[in-house]
Amino acid sequence: MQGIWDSFVGYLDPSVQMTPGEYGDPIWALIYILLVFTGVSIAVMSMNWLERKILAHMQVRLGPMRVGPHGLLQPIADAIKLLIKEDIMPAEADKALFWMAPVVIVITSFAVYTVIPFGPAHAVTDMNIGLLFMLGVSSLSVLGIIMAGWASNSHYPLMGALRSSAQMVSYEVAMGMAVVSAVLMTSMNAAGTGTLSMIGIVQAQEQQQIWFLFKFFPLGLVAFFIFAVAMVAETNRAPFDLPEAESELVAGFHTEYSGFRWSLFFLAEYAAMIAVSSIGVTLWLGGWMRPFPTWHGPAVTLPWFWEKSNVLAHTGAVDLAFALFPALAFFVLAALAARATIRFPKHPLMRIQRIGLAGFGAVLGGIGLLLLVPPVRDRIQDISWFTFKVAAFMYMYIWYRGTFPRYRFDQLMQLGWKFMIPVGVVVLIGTAVVGVIWG
Amino acid sequence: MGLRKFLRMVFLVDLVKGLALTFRYQDPREIYTEQYPLQRPQVAERYRGAPRLNVNAETNETLCIACDLCALACPEHLIIVSSERNEKTRRKELTNFTYDLSRCMFCGLCEDACPTDALELTQDFELANYTREGAIWDRQTLEQGPQPTVYKR
Repeated sequence: MQGIWDSFVGYLDPSVQMTPGEYGDPIWALIYILLVFTGVSIAVMSMNWLERKILAHMQVRLGPMRVGPHGLLQPIADAIKLLIKEDIMPAEADKALFWMAPVVIVITSFAVYTVIPFGPAHAVTDMNIGLLFMLGVSSLSVLGIIMAGWASNSHYPLMGALRSSAQMVSYEVAMGMAVVSAVLMTSMNAAGTGTLSMIGIVQAQEQQQIWFLFKFFPLGLVAFFIFAVAMVAETNRAPFDLPEAESELVAGFHTEYSGFRWSLFFLAEYAAMIAVSSIGVTLWLGGWMRPFPTWHGPAVTLPWFWEKSNVLAHTGAVDLAFALFPALAFFVLAALAARATIRFPKHPLMRIQRIGLAGFGAVLGGIGLLLLVPPVRDRIQDISWFTFKVAAFMYMYIWYRGTFPRYRFDQLMQLGWKFMIPVGVVVLIGTAVVGVIWG
Repeated sequence: MGLRKFLRMVFLVDLVKGLALTFRYQDPREIYTEQYPLQRPQVAERYRGAPRLNVNAETNETLCIACDLCALACPEHLIIVSSERNEKTRRKELTNFTYDLSRCMFCGLCEDACPTDALELTQDFELANYTREGAIWDRQTLEQGPQPTVYKR
């Protein structure tokens, strides 16, 4: 008992800079898992609101406006609606498979988060085959989709599942090519050995002092482009959302699902989007590193209330400026909420909503203030930069959906096999050759 | 394929153009949707909506002289003007005026035919009804105008 307690408290020591998995403490690992699960669930909920809102604005609509100020409570209302809906299972469905399919998809899309590095020490664990694990587990979601399509015992879900499997399997190849070329880049060190560990990949970018996006220009950029396209196809999002093409297949593989089971599919889809974006961020965009990580600027003397920050390695002016960025982002959000409060309709019936919006802005500002406190500020640095990068990817997903029309199935396959895979092979060989010549 | 077209394809110029367009339209000022019960739409000046029988603002007497010209002008024959002769003044006086909105196409011919500007198609557009009979307006409704349910949440 004493040993467990010591190991639990020992992790809080600032000198311990490792993941809970590496430290070997199951309780901390559990806490991290719960934190990641909560964080992802909140991200999915906010993503739901943001997607509806941004998509609506791109189509010069308003989006949700009634449930809470500017529809802010819409995801909660949706969740409640889904949870209290009747649980329908088609009479002719394969009961066991029908029940298992959403579970499989949710498990696969959440299992990936065990190796995603939110910071040098902020991951559930670090595996030496982390990247392989991520790609392998996330590919398993195809199984869940086929199970859903088959078990529904209905035409549209089956066709959706078949399309989805064909699409995901063929784009996995191109994605693999791009990923391997980034892994090759990690071996550009003295020892000449690469790594598949997610933390190791970011550390390799740190050592080589370049994001892999810009390494061997334009090879890194092309590899990233292939990954970015394959990523959208992998997660079945527009413009590659053929498995759920509503104009052709009603809702694709989850046509027969409703209520809670459907919400599991929804959760898994968004969790998978975030997970795949995290792979892209880790491999090409320097993971948790802030932009210009080697640029410290002139040393500055901090005022007394900002000192005692032994977590931050350097205290140059540029370091400090970037360290204040997360708090600044929250202040901008709070300012936007305040502006919306002022501009809110002055209708007496809208008073509660106005107060709610003002309260929301105050909460955002409070979080921003909290992020200014030195210990907090320095500990959330890496996590916040990782989050910003992933958020940019998420915005791209919505942006694509708002812009591009859906591909036809043969066009999709043509793009995958005749363009993505050959270019992927060329980039892989090119990276290897350039690495041997200049490495 | 010309070089220009090839370069356009390689650098995805068309896709980027599309992305730029959707990005520009995100500006909240571009939003076209109105929040209807809260925000009242501004209908055009020449919009023809709910009919109204005008009354003299001072004496509260109807301007209608029961000449029946509107009923004659109406292509749908949906206006019925009933009147009776006042024996004292020897003039026709309006007793009832029915206007069947369910058949009206808002052509405005009745409005044009009216010699006293009594009948007028206003800019009110809330003409929904729960029954078919509700769409047939009598003199009282025509003078008061439509009374739609007031929005409260």
